[in-house]
Amino acid sequence: MFSMKLRHSSDVTLLQLFAVLCFVALLVPEALAVPSYSRQTGMPCASCHYAPPELTPFGRKFKLEGYTFTTKAQVTDEKKGHNAALALLEAFPLSIVFDTSLTATKSPQPGTQNGNFQFPQDVSLFLAGAWTSHIGSFVQVTYDSQGDHFSWDNTDIRYANHDRTLFGKPLTYGITLNNNPSVEDLWNTTPAWGFPFVGSNVAPGPSAGAIINGALAQDVAGVGGYVMWNEHWYLAGTMYRSEHIGGAQPNSGAGFSYNIRGVAPYWRAAYQTSTDNNYLEIGTYGMHVKSTPNAVTGLTDSYTDWAADFEYDRTIPQLKNDVVSVRGTFIRENSTLLATFAAGGAAQTSHHLNTAQANVEYHFGTRFSGTAGLFNITGTSDPLLFSQAAVSGSANGSPQSNGYTLNASWWPAQNVDLAVQYTGYLRFNGAQTNYDSAGRNASSNNTVYLLARFVF
Amino acid sequence: MRKFFLLTLWGMSCCLAAPSAMQAQSDADKIYKTNCVLCHTADGSGSSPTGKAMHAKDLRSDEVQKQTDAALAEVITKGRGKMPAFGAKIKPDDVTKMVAYIRALPNKK
Repeated sequence: MFSMKLRHSSDVTLLQLFAVLCFVALLVPEALAVPSYSRQTGMPCASCHYAPPELTPFGRKFKLEGYTFTTKAQVTDEKKGHNAALALLEAFPLSIVFDTSLTATKSPQPGTQNGNFQFPQDVSLFLAGAWTSHIGSFVQVTYDSQGDHFSWDNTDIRYANHDRTLFGKPLTYGITLNNNPSVEDLWNTTPAWGFPFVGSNVAPGPSAGAIINGALAQDVAGVGGYVMWNEHWYLAGTMYRSEHIGGAQPNSGAGFSYNIRGVAPYWRAAYQTSTDNNYLEIGTYGMHVKSTPNAVTGLTDSYTDWAADFEYDRTIPQLKNDVVSVRGTFIRENSTLLATFAAGGAAQTSHHLNTAQANVEYHFGTRFSGTAGLFNITGTSDPLLFSQAAVSGSANGSPQSNGYTLNASWWPAQNVDLAVQYTGYLRFNGAQTNYDSAGRNASSNNTVYLLARFVF
Repeated sequence: MRKFFLLTLWGMSCCLAAPSAMQAQSDADKIYKTNCVLCHTADGSGSSPTGKAMHAKDLRSDEVQKQTDAALAEVITKGRGKMPAFGAKIKPDDVTKMVAYIRALPNKK
């Protein structure tokens, strides 16, 4: 069993400080209006979220329609003859998220202090709301305490039109500009918005991951389109190019692991259906990337990711409309690493990687939620691609990791999240014991994560 | 002759009034699509996943249609339950048009 060892009196002090902070958070009065979408719609967070960032059907529709729905007063002008129309929010759509956290692993990472307190872990500014009657945004800029600077974060700017029909059925279509494959998605099964919804940024994590699973996040620029027909069928596609924030432009590729050659297509198809108390989505998504590490010419690495996902939400009227959510996704990645092999970074060219994730969550109204999730990563062993290194490496070259994540969140107000999360590893980077050949076990990375999040 | 004159006058007033009525219908249609379709759907049934999740009323139902115009206008303006208030966005004249639009929904079945 995991036990957090308090090795220094300073750890105790930090914990006490965190406890005080949590206690203070309990005293925060219930908020009537939270970030800019809530201010724009005049509706509580719970209209769009079972618990942020998990979207309800209304939240999905709001996103689908370009974040433009509003019930509030606008500065308007009519489209007449040569005059363009205007529909401008009176309130500037700005929001802030403030995260502070404590991370402790079962065994400290060598040479570091365990019980890592981050105040803040990060702070995000959002420009999130309607720009015009058909264009809206989710733009995030985040200050990260480790880098000690602000950087561009998830962005989705979209045009949407829901005033059409096709074969007599409603049709919504749109265009998205975004910087993270799947950030434009409507469900909490795809990488950008999947479980765990919060997490430590200092605890060790498995070294292997599919390229669609966050490797390109905020490092690409994409333009895509989507349609939802008859409220059931969703189709989307986006073309991405590398866009290295902070790097010199035009891009030379130097210093960056992924430099997309040509364009990288991302695709998405989903079907949703519902009854009064049941909601089901099944879908598929994927991506094909050709990339050259550290260059924009020469040999390429090729990745093709195929994924399937599902989400089921059950509202229970007998229990005050509590909601049970079950979600899952499976990603299969096939890769041919010609460039990495030629550079001595892989022992063979052909690899595959399977990533399976599933979780079940119970929402006690909008005040509490408990989630249990499983994850399993398997794939081709390669002693060069998954090489030996203390903590982060693999002694046997295997990418296999599996384990579970438990999360409990308490929302004293809809815009305050106090979360406790435990991640347990049964296998880490290929082994249960001494996985890094430096004496570290998989369970050494078991992590307790405490988070206080304030959104306003 | 007098009958002919009255018929002509009636015809002319119909012609003059028709564009105005059509304009009102067009305005109401636009307002409905912009503000109401998200939950209540184009036919007013609220049968979409969003409508079901929000427990949106079937605007064609007796429960809605039996309410007075004033009551419907109040719900639009001040909101009720999960439905937000639109009073800050939709002008009183347009609220009246929306009530008429809702009254006409059962005939579009």
